[in-house]
Amino acid sequence: MPDPITFTIDGQEVAAKPGQTVLQAAIDAGVYIPYLCYFPTMKPYGACRVCVVEVETPSPQGPRKATLASCTAPVSKDMVVNTQPKHIAELRKGILDLLMTEHPHGCLTCHRIELCGSQDICLRHVRVNDRCVACPKNERCELKDTVRSAQLEMETPLQYHNRNLPIHVDDPFYDRDYNLCIVCARCVRVCEEVRVDSALSLISRSGRTIVGTSHGSSLLESGCEFCGACIDVCPTGALVERDYKWDKAVKSVNTVCPNCPVGCQVFMDVNKRNKVIRVRGDFAGAANMGMACFKGKFATDYPNHPGRVRYPMVRVEGQLQRTTWEQALERITVGLLKYKPAQVGVISSPRGTNEDHYVAQKLARVALKTNNVDSALNVVPELTESLQNVLGHPAATNSIWELEKSKAILVVSGNPTEEQNVLAVPIKKATRAGASLIVIDPRETELTRYAAHWLRPRPGTEVALLGAILRVVFEESLEDKNPGVNNAGGIGDLKQKLWDFDLVRISSVTGVPADAIRAAARAYGAVRPAAIVYGADTIGRADRANLVQAAANLAMATGNLGVRGGGLFPLYHGANTQGALDVGCTPSLLPGHRRIDRAEDRKRIAESWGVEVPSETGLGTNVMFEAMAGGQIKAAIVMADGIPPKSDLLGDVQAAVGNLEFLVVSDYVMSEIASQADVLLPAATYTEISGTYTNLERRVQLLRPGMALTGEERPGWQALAAIGQATGSAGFEFESSSSVLAELTGLVDVYKGITPERLADRSLQWPVWASDHAGTPVLYNEANESKPQFRAVTMTAMDAQPDREFPLLLAHGRVLQDPTRDVRITKADELNQLSRDEIVELHPEDARALGIAAGDLVDVRSRPRADGGSDLFTGIARLTSPHRGMIAITTLFASVASDVEHSQHPDPAPRVRGLPLRQVVVTKAPVAATAAD
Amino acid sequence: MTSGVTTAADTELRERIRRTLRSQKQRTITVLSSLLAVQHEIKYVPEVAIEETAHFIKGATINDVWSVASFYTNFRFTPPGDHTVEVCWGPSCHIKGAQHVLRAVQSELGLDREGETSDGKFTLRYNTCLGACAHAPVIAIDHVHHGRITPDSAVRHVKQARSKPAPGH
Repeated sequence: MPDPITFTIDGQEVAAKPGQTVLQAAIDAGVYIPYLCYFPTMKPYGACRVCVVEVETPSPQGPRKATLASCTAPVSKDMVVNTQPKHIAELRKGILDLLMTEHPHGCLTCHRIELCGSQDICLRHVRVNDRCVACPKNERCELKDTVRSAQLEMETPLQYHNRNLPIHVDDPFYDRDYNLCIVCARCVRVCEEVRVDSALSLISRSGRTIVGTSHGSSLLESGCEFCGACIDVCPTGALVERDYKWDKAVKSVNTVCPNCPVGCQVFMDVNKRNKVIRVRGDFAGAANMGMACFKGKFATDYPNHPGRVRYPMVRVEGQLQRTTWEQALERITVGLLKYKPAQVGVISSPRGTNEDHYVAQKLARVALKTNNVDSALNVVPELTESLQNVLGHPAATNSIWELEKSKAILVVSGNPTEEQNVLAVPIKKATRAGASLIVIDPRETELTRYAAHWLRPRPGTEVALLGAILRVVFEESLEDKNPGVNNAGGIGDLKQKLWDFDLVRISSVTGVPADAIRAAARAYGAVRPAAIVYGADTIGRADRANLVQAAANLAMATGNLGVRGGGLFPLYHGANTQGALDVGCTPSLLPGHRRIDRAEDRKRIAESWGVEVPSETGLGTNVMFEAMAGGQIKAAIVMADGIPPKSDLLGDVQAAVGNLEFLVVSDYVMSEIASQADVLLPAATYTEISGTYTNLERRVQLLRPGMALTGEERPGWQALAAIGQATGSAGFEFESSSSVLAELTGLVDVYKGITPERLADRSLQWPVWASDHAGTPVLYNEANESKPQFRAVTMTAMDAQPDREFPLLLAHGRVLQDPTRDVRITKADELNQLSRDEIVELHPEDARALGIAAGDLVDVRSRPRADGGSDLFTGIARLTSPHRGMIAITTLFASVASDVEHSQHPDPAPRVRGLPLRQVVVTKAPVAATAAD
Repeated sequence: MTSGVTTAADTELRERIRRTLRSQKQRTITVLSSLLAVQHEIKYVPEVAIEETAHFIKGATINDVWSVASFYTNFRFTPPGDHTVEVCWGPSCHIKGAQHVLRAVQSELGLDREGETSDGKFTLRYNTCLGACAHAPVIAIDHVHHGRITPDSAVRHVKQARSKPAPGH
């Protein structure tokens, strides 16, 4: 660490980090300099000039004085900075006067601002349009704070010029009123610099410059991913969330978003009527650096739903009727204990905290004596569990924002932009810094646009491609020359088996040209550090363990384990799937990643709990729903918050639970699952509980309650512990979520040093070995070594052969923007909706067999989905599919944004459909002439 | 965004723009060079050219391209008239009576500001300096200078241009 630079600011001696600007050093030192265009997470911009200061620098000719913008002036040694001399204050006032010629000023300079209370009516000192109460950002406007600090007169000398720009209210989620814009370009910069999207730009020049899109087009077609970052940085009322636009927050609570495994730290604003009105990314959040996404920002108000279940209910003569907790628990005990352990299951909520998951699995194992317990969205357990077999820990090896520093990133069969949104941000930033992105996916996704190498294999052959890449790495001597790698277990066998993966053969299996494979292998293998991000969206069950092994082999062979910016990242679903795994809420692992099938592991847990632990591996979530539908599971507890009733991930949950003889549901509304319950327990939501989540990078974070519970709702752990006590089992006497955490950290070794007090300060990445251990951002470095083993991967046969009725596989892609094709904007409920002529890519041979020529209009119909519907597309045929048997369609993300906006369901986020491969049938459309409308 | 129907003419325009973008031969190809190439080829920058340029330049979005295009006053986004009349209103020409010339040309074209005539025959533009102050006042018709002009001779030149075909055809 280089020495700090000392300088003087307003007579106070201050130490600054080298490279800091005067403004940054002043903020760190707690000296207030007003600023508008600067934002702490972005590069200095120097546009607004409000932060001017007087600077005196020593030089051989004597001190030199200058008036500089503090946001762009770097600190130098012995500099003397004065923020408040009279001429500087005057200059700043003048700058603000000019700024205010295009922003209404009544709201800023009214002398009653600090006199008006919440119930007062406006005393009409200012024009109707200019009143502070007419602005949605009233009371949280940064511009106002700045202007107040400069003590501007109520009437500024320059005339206000209203730009009279149209207000944009027809795009999803945001309202944009550029009449309030001060052109600080924070929104443009956050979109370009941080999100790498450029969905907004500065348009036109000089005094007419304004923020906007190309030709004023809708955000739906401008490439917007609706992350809301522009709203969060806007210092004025120009950009606001449309929902709860006029609501004022009475408190703001730091908590964690419940929608995906990134685990964004957010501020949750709650109004005086106990509703969550806004969610804003926390710029101090280590997992998200202030970012959020369309789900986290705009689909997190479901706890406000008027139909909240407030009290327990039991089914009496076919009807759910109100009851007390005592009676409900009695009914549950009687209902559940009738069945044999193998006939009972517990499904934990994907939004459950570590405490909820811990009590859920303890209830299953101790009271119900079964290992049929899982968190609901743990649908691809191989993604993490295979990592345990290969490397030692079932989790991502590195931290999310290290990806920003990776020199190469390989993304396999995942679409983080939609599923784990904020994870895509550092990937995109890395590509801009020169990293090569390699995407292996038959579908076109947002990341393929940023990819230097997009390998588009025949679906089901992704693993073969990874094998071929590893072979090129060895062939071209790109592997890590460290003896640790060359002597690692299994390397001989691995190298031997790699002879199967010669490029000619793999090229014909995958349909990817050998040159492209070679180029991608060089892009990944020739630089360090390089990371691998993998999902299983297009990969069949039989191949998933192989996928993880192949990815791990590649990372190990290239020396990318245990280094910052390297490693492996599994892309799974559910906000706390990692935590569930850690605390043993899975059918095959006990708390602390101990294995059910290992006697000494069971013994350790049994000693602690004082009861035998069932030894037979249980059923996982998707198998369990199948077993419910099949009648093998007859009774279940389902914590339903965040479980979609019908989805591609879980299938038809609604029908499965309907088939049970006895169903206990904990839910916050009368959902499709809740309405089938025999006993329905009122659930608390993420806004109302304390607890911990563990995110994708093993970061344990604290949830804090912002809303008060108004009925008899209980957090998951409390409801489950009450059931445990009611069954007469010991070990469920928990007083609070902290006491659950205290018990589980005793069993989960990697959580040993975690306490709520430490988490209140900052989040911690496990392993946290002791109360003074700072956590582990990177696994498998010197400090926590393990001996990874290579294990050769064999090629498996292609999974899921298409059938006769639906003979083709559809690789459905989705991108944020596609400027090469015309779109149409229509209105639905006064909101913009977008449509366009889709293009269906077919392989020439398939097309010939179907009698389809390029340019024909074709219908694509999928095998019925789990939710009963089936995908239907009509599009113009192009004979450009790279593989026989595969067709491809790429639609626009705008449709997802519109769907979420228009959703009638209180909680649309879990219902956003992903992009699995689908079996389809293609026919020539009956009418050919109406292609255009 | 072109609302309504994608016609064959739209497709052809896109193809022409793509050819133009690809045919750039210089070492550094940028958003700006691409927009200039398009304007050179089809005399203006239609909306689809913004889209095609965004696709052509890696990492650019339509908003990036429009940000550049809208910054420069030399880009035009509607088709120009067949002939361009530029009237210099720089200081030298102004002193030598450019105002009168301008008014005469405007009344001949039936315009009261810069822009296109309703028949699409002429584009009128004001020019800050055509670089021929010694010959002030100056006008340029289809980029051919005419110096020491009077209101009457200016109108005569415009009338002559009217009978000629558009340059380049």
